[in-house]
Amino acid sequence: MQIIKKTGLEAVRKARELGAGKVLELLDRKGLVGRGGASFPTAKKWKFALETKSDEKFVICNADEGEPGAFKDKFILQNNPETLIEGILVASYIISAKRAFIYLRGEYEYLKGNLEKVIKKVVKDSKSDVSIEVVVGAGSYVCGEETAIIRSIEGFRGQPYFKPPFPPVQGLWGKPTVINNVETLAAAAQALVFDDWNPSLRLFSVSGCVENAGVFELPLGVRLSALLKLAKPKGKVKALLFGCFGGSMPYKDIELTPENICGEDCLHGSCSVIVVDDSHSMVGLSYVIAKFFAYESCGKCTPCREGTVRVMYLMKKLKDMKASKEDLVLLEELAHHIKDTSLCGLGQSSTNHIITGLKHFREDFEDRIL
Amino acid sequence: MKIKLDNKEIECDANKTLLHICKDNSINIPTLCYQESLKPDARCRVCLVELNGKLVTSCSTFPVEGCSVITKSDRVVKARKMNVELIMAGHVQTCSIDKYAHNLCGMLEEIGLQGIRFDPIRDYEQDLGSAVVREDNKCINCGRCVRTCGEIQEVFAIDFASRGFNEHVAPYCEHNLADVACIKCGQCILHCPVGAIHEREHLFEVLKVLKDKRKKVIVQAAPSIRATLGEEFGMPAGSLVTGKMVAALRKCGFYKVFDVNLGADMTIMEEASEFLRRVGKGGPFPMITTCCPGWILMMEHFYPEMIKKNNMSTCKSPHEMLGMLTKTYYAQKESLNPEDIVVVSVMPCTAKKFESTRPELESGVDYVLTTRECAKLIRHFNIDFANLADEDFDSALGVSSGAGAVFGASGGVMEAALRTAYEFGTGKGVTKLEFDQIRGLEGIKSGSIIINGKEIKFACAHGGANIRKLLKDKDKYHFIEFMACPGGCIGGGGQPPHFTRETLLKRAEAIYKADAIMPLRKSHENPVVKKIYSEFLDKPGSEKAEKLLHTYYQKRSEF
Repeated sequence: MQIIKKTGLEAVRKARELGAGKVLELLDRKGLVGRGGASFPTAKKWKFALETKSDEKFVICNADEGEPGAFKDKFILQNNPETLIEGILVASYIISAKRAFIYLRGEYEYLKGNLEKVIKKVVKDSKSDVSIEVVVGAGSYVCGEETAIIRSIEGFRGQPYFKPPFPPVQGLWGKPTVINNVETLAAAAQALVFDDWNPSLRLFSVSGCVENAGVFELPLGVRLSALLKLAKPKGKVKALLFGCFGGSMPYKDIELTPENICGEDCLHGSCSVIVVDDSHSMVGLSYVIAKFFAYESCGKCTPCREGTVRVMYLMKKLKDMKASKEDLVLLEELAHHIKDTSLCGLGQSSTNHIITGLKHFREDFEDRIL
Repeated sequence: MKIKLDNKEIECDANKTLLHICKDNSINIPTLCYQESLKPDARCRVCLVELNGKLVTSCSTFPVEGCSVITKSDRVVKARKMNVELIMAGHVQTCSIDKYAHNLCGMLEEIGLQGIRFDPIRDYEQDLGSAVVREDNKCINCGRCVRTCGEIQEVFAIDFASRGFNEHVAPYCEHNLADVACIKCGQCILHCPVGAIHEREHLFEVLKVLKDKRKKVIVQAAPSIRATLGEEFGMPAGSLVTGKMVAALRKCGFYKVFDVNLGADMTIMEEASEFLRRVGKGGPFPMITTCCPGWILMMEHFYPEMIKKNNMSTCKSPHEMLGMLTKTYYAQKESLNPEDIVVVSVMPCTAKKFESTRPELESGVDYVLTTRECAKLIRHFNIDFANLADEDFDSALGVSSGAGAVFGASGGVMEAALRTAYEFGTGKGVTKLEFDQIRGLEGIKSGSIIINGKEIKFACAHGGANIRKLLKDKDKYHFIEFMACPGGCIGGGGQPPHFTRETLLKRAEAIYKADAIMPLRKSHENPVVKKIYSEFLDKPGSEKAEKLLHTYYQKRSEF
């Protein structure tokens, strides 16, 4: 596996040797893009922060992996924290930040001790003057959103804030801040060091109705059947969910690229795949996801705060076979409304499972109507 | 910058948000969580417009070169309607607030909302504070109160708690508002678009006592009421309605109508004397005014070290002084039993409601009505306020000077005190009565004056955030005036809702006009004040005055 190859302080050394400009050029050439879901070119993000003048800059590593069905960041934190820390040091060096944070998901608190030990060692061995602090979240899903992370680290309520200004221009305490996903930062260190570094390799978290759930490293564009062969589905695969927010699609042996997934109205997000076999109804599944989002909505904006709970009630009605035709119409209207008008990305994608579910598995929903 | 607004090419300011650009082009966009004096938060999602085919909140979005903004498409209308429907479903269905003061119910027609397809789910208890009452069942989570408390007042008494549909506004650790470090300024009330926060009403108690034949119910009106009460009856901001106010109150059945401006004159007499005593002794400085009960609470909660350092003046606030004098001096003079007298203050303030319950004051004031409650009372008696003939205050405790009038605006207490202190100190009158350097709406104002060869530096601040700022270098000054509400009492938490600087400026103008038209403009020239001292109190700072007109303070929790 590429992602667990250790860079052994080589990345920091090379970054210092090349200087900011050449490192950004190299990362750009190697095609490093963000692995958190948006696939934004990493070099471009760092460049924004580099070019913004400020007395203080920050780097934040987003380790708030709260998405159900995603566990690749945990895999890196457990198996290759050294390279991740190096990635953070490289990013700090490039934008000349003196303080960096790892925003760790509340449920991953047990990783904190080991992580701090590694930080101490890597920072000392690389003779870096950057201080890296591990901040443990309080278990809120929305704190995976970058502006919410900023608010949370600042000590406020972890709620997202509207953009622009974007964090690389105005982030933590109003200063330019680079926020990258765990996988991105580790990959950045590796991209600098290894000549044969492959930009298309991704970590797929596969779970659901499979015997061999886990993290698989495969290139983007791999056939779905190849991925499923590794994961060993238990029954006949009916549908796939790309995390809770990515939406669902009926099983088709497509090549897994962001474009192909988008073609099915889904979001590939952070490459998490939940396998659903034909023993499950999409309605029951949607209800569970709706419950999750109603519980995890931060409560800031109207459509998400009021909408997700209404969606949950409607889904419950549908699940219990108490819903009318009008309820289904309202559900669909609400789903599109929440997607259209919510403040942050998490709110906007909170009804993808219903929109795609209604598109691909409409009969599952309509069967439940009174 | 050139943009397309509703398919019409227009020139616009790139530093303005879409909301303001639309406003400049006479397009009205409904808003709930947005307010000019607060930073945009983009919570309510009602001000949606289409920017290049994407729905965005106009309150927080800036234009980009050549962009196309659509404000009236079906998509926009539908999205706004749905958000208002979702909000209304959470808002209590039996709401009965006046439409004009209530942004949400006022906007339903404009939005075109007909029915609500969701059942109500909220069920919160009323938080009955001593001055401010919160009703979470009416709350729509717009966060205006939270931002007001944090950004403008820097008190942070309330914030959001819980998440998702359980998110609600709550004081520290879900305590009641009465039990946390809240200064009861009532600014949150002014900013609430749905009436989910309001004052603890004393209206019913007052109506009850007005019917009681054995009681002599005496009303006293604060300096700023005459500059704002007219707004409640549809008059433009800055209408001075002193005579109509007195006539209306008399029509409501009050036995006497007294003027708190007289109390203000008394405060000045005591405060100016106290200040000169300090000048003579060389301290302790700065001396800080104590007319504002919101500021006193702020000091007790957050800056209790000032009590030990004796920075605070010991004077009671004007209406407390007058209430006390009514029940002692006036009762004695008219041979009334003080127990038969009920004093009702009409105040621009919610913190005064709390103040009148302080045990250490042994307050002479029984009930406090806000300007809004006073208007409700007048409407209750079906009085045609606008067409009333002017009447005068009852002369026993109703003669005042212009110095008392300016108490209503920020910087006024200082100005009035300086007029008297200068003359007491030097024996000469000030050459110019208007202290321009401490007038206006600047957050922090300062100046200096020479009294007997000594330079006295003074400053004033209004609004909690400005107070905190000025307190950082308080030691530079000798005399400081603090007002908890932006603009002073004219912007008080009990006033009619006002959202623009212009309204405040107009009200201040009216206050200064009330001063300028007075034949007497210095507190110590007021004949009634002279009479009170000669007949009753002896002189400022006498033992009797200390007992009746001065008070002490206590440390309170920071949380």
